[in-house]
Amino acid sequence: MKRLAQIPRWWALTALILLVGAYAMWIRFTGGLGAASNLHDGFPWGFWVGIDVLVGVGLAAGGFTIAATVYVLNLKKYEPVSRPSLLTAFLGYLLVSAALVVDIGRPLRLYHPLIMWNPHSVMFEVAWCVTLYTTVLALEFSPLVFEKLGWHWPLRAIRAIYLPLVIAGVLLSTLHQSSLGTLFLIVPEKLHGLWYSPVLPAFFFVSAIAAGLSMSIVESFISSRVFSRRLEHDVLLGLARATVVILGIYVTWRFADLATRGALHLAFTFSQQSVLFWAEIGFGALLPLLLMLLSGDKIRERNLFFYALLVVAGFVLNRVNVSMTGMRNIETYFPKWTEVAITLVFVTLGVVLFGLAVRQFDVFAKSEYVEPGTTTRNGWFPKGSLIAVAGFFVALVLLVRAAPSRAELEARLKPAPAQLAMHVEPLGDPNENLPQDLTIPSGGNSPGKVVFSHANHIAMQEKVSCMECHERTFGMGFAHSPRLKGEQWHRACGTCHDGKKASSSVSDETGESCSTCHQSQ
Amino acid sequence: MAFLIDLTKCIGCEACTLACKQENGLPPGATDKLSAVTWTVIERHGGVNVKRQCNHCVDPTCVSVCPVAALQKTSLEAVIYDESRCIGCRYCIMACPFSIPKYEWFSTEPRVRKCIHCFPRLERGEQPACTAACPTGAAKYGKREELIEEAKKRIAENPGRYIDHIYGLTEAGGTCALYLSAVPFAQLGFPTIRTDTTYPHLTWNVLRQLPSVVSVGGVGLAGLWWITHRRMELAEERAQQAAEKAENEKEESK
Repeated sequence: MKRLAQIPRWWALTALILLVGAYAMWIRFTGGLGAASNLHDGFPWGFWVGIDVLVGVGLAAGGFTIAATVYVLNLKKYEPVSRPSLLTAFLGYLLVSAALVVDIGRPLRLYHPLIMWNPHSVMFEVAWCVTLYTTVLALEFSPLVFEKLGWHWPLRAIRAIYLPLVIAGVLLSTLHQSSLGTLFLIVPEKLHGLWYSPVLPAFFFVSAIAAGLSMSIVESFISSRVFSRRLEHDVLLGLARATVVILGIYVTWRFADLATRGALHLAFTFSQQSVLFWAEIGFGALLPLLLMLLSGDKIRERNLFFYALLVVAGFVLNRVNVSMTGMRNIETYFPKWTEVAITLVFVTLGVVLFGLAVRQFDVFAKSEYVEPGTTTRNGWFPKGSLIAVAGFFVALVLLVRAAPSRAELEARLKPAPAQLAMHVEPLGDPNENLPQDLTIPSGGNSPGKVVFSHANHIAMQEKVSCMECHERTFGMGFAHSPRLKGEQWHRACGTCHDGKKASSSVSDETGESCSTCHQSQ
Repeated sequence: MAFLIDLTKCIGCEACTLACKQENGLPPGATDKLSAVTWTVIERHGGVNVKRQCNHCVDPTCVSVCPVAALQKTSLEAVIYDESRCIGCRYCIMACPFSIPKYEWFSTEPRVRKCIHCFPRLERGEQPACTAACPTGAAKYGKREELIEEAKKRIAENPGRYIDHIYGLTEAGGTCALYLSAVPFAQLGFPTIRTDTTYPHLTWNVLRQLPSVVSVGGVGLAGLWWITHRRMELAEERAQQAAEKAENEKEESK
C-alpha cells in the first residue's frame, strides 16, 4: 500500500516535466535556437551538446563494454548485466538522436551527413558511427522482442550473426566515444590547458568505459529497488574491480599528460578551472578509486553504490568541463531554463521507457528475481549517497564562484590596447579614389536637385579626413536611404554648413541663396 | 587570391562595410562588430582601425569540420557556403580559430553567415566589393604570393612604420587575409594562435587512424573471442574427461 501511494507522486512529476518540456520545445521550434537557449556566436555549443550528447553517449558505454566482456571475452558470469546495459545503451542513443533534433539548427536535415560526405570532418564520422551503432544496438536488443513475439527464424538469424554484431558494436563505440574527444582537438586555444590534450580522444574512450561500468553498478542498485531485481555480489565486485583498473589507468594518464605538456602548474593556480579540475579528478576519480581499493573484497554494497555514483558524477563533470566550463567565453553563457527543461524531458523519457521495456521484455534473467521485501536490506534507500553528491555539487558551485574566472586571469596577462597615431597617407588623386558624385534625392518642393561632390568637399578641407563627416554625421549609407526628407538633409549638411564653418544650409536665416547647393532646373 | 590589409592606412571610413552590405544584400546597421548581417567591420582599438572579415585560410578549419561539406574552398581561394547542405551543427562557429562564422540564432531556418570573398564577383573577374570601395588602399586585393612580396617590401622600405610581422603569413598555417600593423597584433584583438600547423591537421592526424583501428581492432577482437572460446571448449573437454575418468575409476574400484 505504501508503494502504491508513492506512484501518483512520481507520475505527477513526470507529467509536469513533460508539460514544461513540451512548452520549451514549442519555443525552440517556433522561435529558433536563440529563443530557446542562451547560446550565441561566442558560445555556440552548450548544455545540449555537453549533457545530452557527450554525457548521454558516455554513460551508454556500458552497453559495448559488457557486450565485449560477455561475448568476446566469454565471461558468462556477467550475462545478467548484459541485457540491462544493452537496453540503457539503446535508449541512450535514441535519446541522443532526439536531443540532436533539438540542438541542430535544421533538424529536418539530420540525414544530410549520410548522403553529403566530408570524410575529413570528425562530426561526419560521429554522425555515421552513432547512426550505425544505434542500428547495431537495435539488432542486439531485438532477440528480446522476438522472444516475446515468439518469432523463431529472425531470432535464429540474429543469433547466427551475434558475435560479428557485438564486434561491430565495440569497434563503432571505440571510434565515436573517442571521436567525441577528437571534436575538441580543433580548439587548442579555446579549451583550457587542463583539458586540451592531443590524447583527448583516448581520455574520452577510457573515461567512458569507467563511467559505463559504474553506471551498470548504479543501475543494478536502482533496479533492485524499483524492479526487485538484483545482481550477485560476485558480479558487482567484478564490475567494481574493472572500474578500479580502468580508473587507475585513466587518472595516471591524465596526470602524466599534464606533466608532459607542462600544464601541471595550471592545476595549482587558483582559478575556476583548477577548482573544477580537482572536483572532477579528486572527488570523481581519485577518491572513489582509493575508497574501492581500501575496501577490497569486503566492500559493502551500499558503499559500492556511492563510489560508483562518484565516478559517474566525476565523468559528468569531465564532459561539462571539456564542453562548457573549460571553454573560453564561459562567462558569457549560462543555460536557459528551456535548455534544462528539454534535457529533463529526455532523461525522464529514458527512465519511463526503461521501465516499460522491463515490464514488456525479459530484460532481467529469471534467476535474478528476488521476492519483494527480501531485496537489499528492506527499505534501504541511498539517501546518504544522494545527499553527499548533492552537497558536493553545492560546495563546488560556491567554490567556483569564489575563484577568479578564466576571462579575469587572461585579462591580467593581456597587453594593453594599442594607442598610436596613424600614418594616413595622402589620398592621392581624389578623382581616382573617391566615390562618384552623388545626386541627392529631391523632395516635392525642392528648388532644384543637389549634387554632392566628394572631391570638392575634400579640396576645401585643410586636412584630408573622411572621418570629418563619416561615420558620425553621415553614415555610409546616408545618401542611399530614400526615406530621408529635405529637412534631415538640411540638418545633416548644416552640421558644417552653419554659416560660420561653411555657407549656411538654411537660406532665410543668413540670406544665403538656395542656389549655392540647389541647381536650378 | 587574397587581401592585404595595411592597418596604418585605414582611416576607418567603413566604406568597406557598406559596400559589403550592398553587394551581399545585408540589412543596414549593426556595424560595431561582425555578425550575421555584417560580414566585414572596422573594429576600433585605441586609434587603430582594424578591418575584420573572414580570413579565408589556406587550409580552412571550417571547411574541414563541416560534416556535410556545406563550406567549400574554391579555386579562387574564397571559402564559400552552400546553405542548402547545412544542418546547423555549428561546429564551424565552434572551431574557427578567428571566431568568424556567425549564426542566425533567431531564425527557424538558420544559416551560417560570413564573408564569402564576394565569390560571384571573383567569378566575373572583379575584385571584392570591400577592396573596390576602399578609398585609401588600406585593403588591397591580389594574388597571395604577390601580396606577401608587397607586404615584405613595405616593411623593408618603411623602417619604423611597421612591426616585423605579417599576420596571416603563418597563422593557422596561413590565411588569405594578410595584415600589416604598427603595433603588436595582440594589442589589436587578434587571437594568438598556432602557426606551426593548420588546424585541420589536428583532427586529421587522429581521423586517419580510423582504418587501422577498425582492421586491427576487428581482427584483435575476433582473435580474443577465438582464444577465450577455445579455452572454454578445452576446459569443458577436460572436465568431461575427468568426469569420465572418475566414473571409470569408480567402476574399476567396484
